[in-house]
Amino acid sequence: MAQAILNRISAGDSDAVQDCLKTYGGLVWSLARRMLRNSEDAEDVVQEIFVDIWKNAERFDPSQSSETTFVAMIARRRIIDRIRYSARRISADSLEDVLVEPTNRSDQTLQTSVEANEAAKALKALRPEQQQVLQLSIVEGMSHQEISDATGMPLGTVKTHARRGILQAREILGLGSTEIRREVSA
Amino acid sequence: MNEQIEETMLDLLCKKATYGLNPQEEKQLADLEREMGREGESESFELTAAALSMAHLDTSQAMPANLQSRILAEAERYFDKTPESRASSVSAFVSDSDEAPSGSLFNWLGWAVAAAACLALALNIFYTRPQSTIVQGNFPTPTPEERLTPSQMRQRLIDSAPDLARADWGAGNVKELTPSGDIVWSDAKQAGYMRLSGLPVNDPNKETYQLWIFDETQDDKTPIDGGTFTVNSVGEVIIPINAKLPPKNTKMYAITVEIPGGVVVSKREKIVALAKRET
Repeated sequence: MAQAILNRISAGDSDAVQDCLKTYGGLVWSLARRMLRNSEDAEDVVQEIFVDIWKNAERFDPSQSSETTFVAMIARRRIIDRIRYSARRISADSLEDVLVEPTNRSDQTLQTSVEANEAAKALKALRPEQQQVLQLSIVEGMSHQEISDATGMPLGTVKTHARRGILQAREILGLGSTEIRREVSA
Repeated sequence: MNEQIEETMLDLLCKKATYGLNPQEEKQLADLEREMGREGESESFELTAAALSMAHLDTSQAMPANLQSRILAEAERYFDKTPESRASSVSAFVSDSDEAPSGSLFNWLGWAVAAAACLALALNIFYTRPQSTIVQGNFPTPTPEERLTPSQMRQRLIDSAPDLARADWGAGNVKELTPSGDIVWSDAKQAGYMRLSGLPVNDPNKETYQLWIFDETQDDKTPIDGGTFTVNSVGEVIIPINAKLPPKNTKMYAITVEIPGGVVVSKREKIVALAKRET
């Protein structure tokens, strides 16, 4: 049922907008909060992300990914833009920012959990250094240079871990073509 | 030659997925993809990064009700402006009956969400009002919706983490400051809290406090970033730790003063508090 939301949006079904917000609101909000830290920035970005989702709904191809992953990709693009073009990647947290509203676990959380479990398994299959680099870059939004500075790893090593890690994860998750797979085993 | 192009392309694809590209790099990647006949390759990398970004993602934090209202209002504007969807939008906004309410469904939903937020706020105020008397009788069973204070969250961690590490805060290299309090951390739960007194209120537009965690996984030159925070009141504050990497066997913690937003590597010019784990 959830997988049809974007198709319904692209067909102009306005009810689907509410379903989209209900199903993916928690995912988008959590991604934004985790990467941007500051709730004000996160609120601005989340609003923009939903417009992006509506605009890109017709591009969703279920043969390429799940709808949840597609929505997360749209969200990440906008969040990355915000990080790259802001003065600094993370704004200071205030206590109020960290300790926000009470939990509201509902069906969309369960849907995301399925994806999250698959992603966690894929991450776990990677070497520890690859996990570390991908954690810092994908989850924390750090550049390769920042990861090198923060961990003491040479920049080239960071790049190598990031590249091999993402290629391997791509294969595990079944999200890519076979053309680049030879790189994974290198 | 092709191998070199492939290498460059892979670097760009990976960078785009993890951190994004600048406009020049975007153009370079587009040119390479065209040259190699692999247009659209980048999306599979972005989808991979998106999938990985959901690992261990805590989606239990609800989106603020006012933001939901704004998005629904934006949806109404957006779909009203989109010619191809206008017809279907209008038909969907109007109910099956001719006696539909005059406002749109989105407007109604916006008000409904706002009303729900008011109700939640009222309940929150009611349930979190200061308690000055001893309450007797049956206590309500805590529910997942219960909003805990930082102090309660810290206590819950202390009560539930058998591997809890604890250390007391002491002075750093800023002589006029005498911070006190402690820090608790659980490797198993990957969670912890700082309880601090004696740090001055800071203006987050000018500077921020940043926690650093020294553990066995990282060299002491590059401790783990434990997150930035603001002290916005005098007296004791309790702050959750937001470690950027999973610490293991922590041995020392330091709080520095940094530029707004924090830094990747601290120059350690102003260390306002230090805590060494007692073992």
